Amino acid sequence: MTSRLPSQAKGGFNFDNHVRNAAMEGKGAALPKATKTGTTIVGLIYKDGVVLGADTRATAGPIVADKNCEKIHYLAPNMYCCGAGTAADTEMTTSLISSQLELHRLATGRQARIVTAMTLLKQMLFKYQGHIGAALILGGVDISGPQLYTIYPHGSTDKLPYVTMGSGSLNAMSVFESRWTPNMDRESAIELVKDAIEAGIFNDLGSGSNVDVVVLTKDKVDVLRNYARPNERGVKEASYVFRRGTTQVLKTSIRDMVDIKETVESIATSTAMEVDAV
Amino acid sequence: MMSTVPSELPVTAPIEHRFDPYVDNGGTLLSIAGKDFCVVAADTRLSEGYSIHTRYVPKSVKLSDKTVISMGGCYADCLTLTKRIQQNMEASLVAPMWYRHAHGKTMSTAAIAQMLSIMLYQKRFFPFYSWCILGGLDEEGRGAVYTYDPVGSYEREACRCAGSASSLIQPFLDNQINFKNQASERRELSLDQVLRITKDSFTSATERDIYTGDYLEIFVITSNGVELQKMGLKKD
Amino acid sequence: MFLTRSEYDRGVNTFSPEGRLFQVEYAIEAIKLGSTAVGIKTPKGLILAVEKRVTSPLLESSSIEKIFEIDAHIGCAMSGLTADSRTIVDHARIEAQNHTFTYNEPIKVESVTQAVCDLALRFGESARGEESIMSRPFGVSLLIAGIDETGPQLYHTDPSGTFVSYSAKAIGSGSEGAETELQEEYHSSMTLLEAETLALKVLKQVMEEKLNATNVQLASVTREEGFKIFTPEELQTVVDRL
Repeated sequence: MTSRLPSQAKGGFNFDNHVRNAAMEGKGAALPKATKTGTTIVGLIYKDGVVLGADTRATAGPIVADKNCEKIHYLAPNMYCCGAGTAADTEMTTSLISSQLELHRLATGRQARIVTAMTLLKQMLFKYQGHIGAALILGGVDISGPQLYTIYPHGSTDKLPYVTMGSGSLNAMSVFESRWTPNMDRESAIELVKDAIEAGIFNDLGSGSNVDVVVLTKDKVDVLRNYARPNERGVKEASYVFRRGTTQVLKTSIRDMVDIKETVESIATSTAMEVDAV
Repeated sequence: MMSTVPSELPVTAPIEHRFDPYVDNGGTLLSIAGKDFCVVAADTRLSEGYSIHTRYVPKSVKLSDKTVISMGGCYADCLTLTKRIQQNMEASLVAPMWYRHAHGKTMSTAAIAQMLSIMLYQKRFFPFYSWCILGGLDEEGRGAVYTYDPVGSYEREACRCAGSASSLIQPFLDNQINFKNQASERRELSLDQVLRITKDSFTSATERDIYTGDYLEIFVITSNGVELQKMGLKKD
Repeated sequence: MFLTRSEYDRGVNTFSPEGRLFQVEYAIEAIKLGSTAVGIKTPKGLILAVEKRVTSPLLESSSIEKIFEIDAHIGCAMSGLTADSRTIVDHARIEAQNHTFTYNEPIKVESVTQAVCDLALRFGESARGEESIMSRPFGVSLLIAGIDETGPQLYHTDPSGTFVSYSAKAIGSGSEGAETELQEEYHSSMTLLEAETLALKVLKQVMEEKLNATNVQLASVTREEGFKIFTPEELQTVVDRL
């Protein structure tokens, strides 16, 4: 016997509303806008590993949607991934690949390689032909040493020693191009990443607020959340506490609690079956 | 003999040329009228898209000892419009005469207000992309705020915010200046209170509007003349 | 006298060797043929009075108009060619309306006067060869009376485009006699009522006909009422006071 229940979703995307939405759009209805992380994200390879950096502003058009969001996502114990683009896409993509990497590790009994994560990500993004708006910087350390990749929304990838992405990528890259050198030490690498992110924060309107940094080495990962906070909010000049009773009472209506009483009555013994009319 | 047109002639689409002379340079401005003063404030960021063109460019200009104009929108249009107002206060393009030279006096706030409306409406079908707020003192010495749409519709009000963060600040002003949704709370605000509300409006707008920030310029107009205060805003 | 003017009084904008523009001077002479008009300025307001030449008993005297409203706060009295005065008054009215339209405030009396005088010398051929609007100077003189933020103002304009401010002034055929009388009787602290009486008294002395409520016109400009032409009844009460 076949079940009448709707089948359980097996994963992937659901396109049930596509036709309806297309019809609504055709009639002039505006579709909801997705939150973008009009972002600055960077990564570089230094002497002992990889440093990733990101700003913390999320925007919806000209409005700041989140002043301190997290754009450096966990993928595996030895790798992290910075995301720029549609917030939901970067979050879902990285967490999906994170799950696959963990299953991969359990199946193989080995630490996942960065190139594996990169391949999974690019295959997924290519499959969706750019409709998943995720621009990623993937960094980590595996048996072949520190690795750094960029992955574009359509699925192309680059392997470079220093990379930037997002709307503030040009601002950040200008800092990298003038100051990056091979075999930097940890301290100056972190400082360079911080300065690159701050270039985006101050000169790109899509980026703002704080600097997040993640440092990945062979045997240690340091998540430096809000490594720099160059944009603290000032103190307000006036107090905006409202006096009690400021909101006008237009109408008052007081009701007693409604009692629900349950009574049990014995059914009268009758010969015929009765249908309750009430 | 009839000539036939070959059906396989290549069809070329007409080439369209779009004339798009407007840009939105962002920025926020506000003005609040008091009993015997007027405050005109604006941030100084000039931006386009995700880029900041400059962090300090004044949006407000002192027109006389009693009047200050503030404008937002397309900066090129704002510059030209401001220049024309100043020119007309000396020599009018609207009427074939020079105001100061013809009438031997400085234009009153109300006269500038009316003239600006006409200057905007004269360009009804190719408007100045500018949101104007005129702040100053009227002939009785009371604070006056005149607000405009880009084609010259204008109104005198108690307070107004315009520009990129206007939708964030205007409801706040409605509540704090006009005491909307505050039962029996109407009272006259002092200059100090108005200045605090003005500064808080801008620091808060800077938090949430990407086009507002860098510096704040506040013009305070009293019977003693026009005083300019400046303060820093966040630069991210 | 006229011999010296020959040859140089034909072109409207030709100077004589002595440096005179005869056509303009003739226009000024034309005023001296016009009916007499008087204007008096007092601290409270202004009075304009004109003589109406009722040349025939069949003439409807109410159809003779020599005092005009320019704006709610400005009026003027004329002497000379009535038709020319229409052009000037139309121009002054447009100027005043344009000012209120542009600036949302009443125009100053001096500004209206200046605007009117700007028109005075736009006759003859123009330098750039475009159509000029007039072939000869205006043959009219005005007394412009009004109140603005600087107080009551009385201006006299002539066909040369010159304008001068007066406390009291008379123009037209009887102007000489009238001005002598005004100089004797006028003082700066006059009431409006005294000015009404003086204006008619002056007219009465210089008019050929006997003054009555139908052969004069009287108007006032005050802060309270602005410009106002006296009704026949109001005029009669002033006449009765003489």
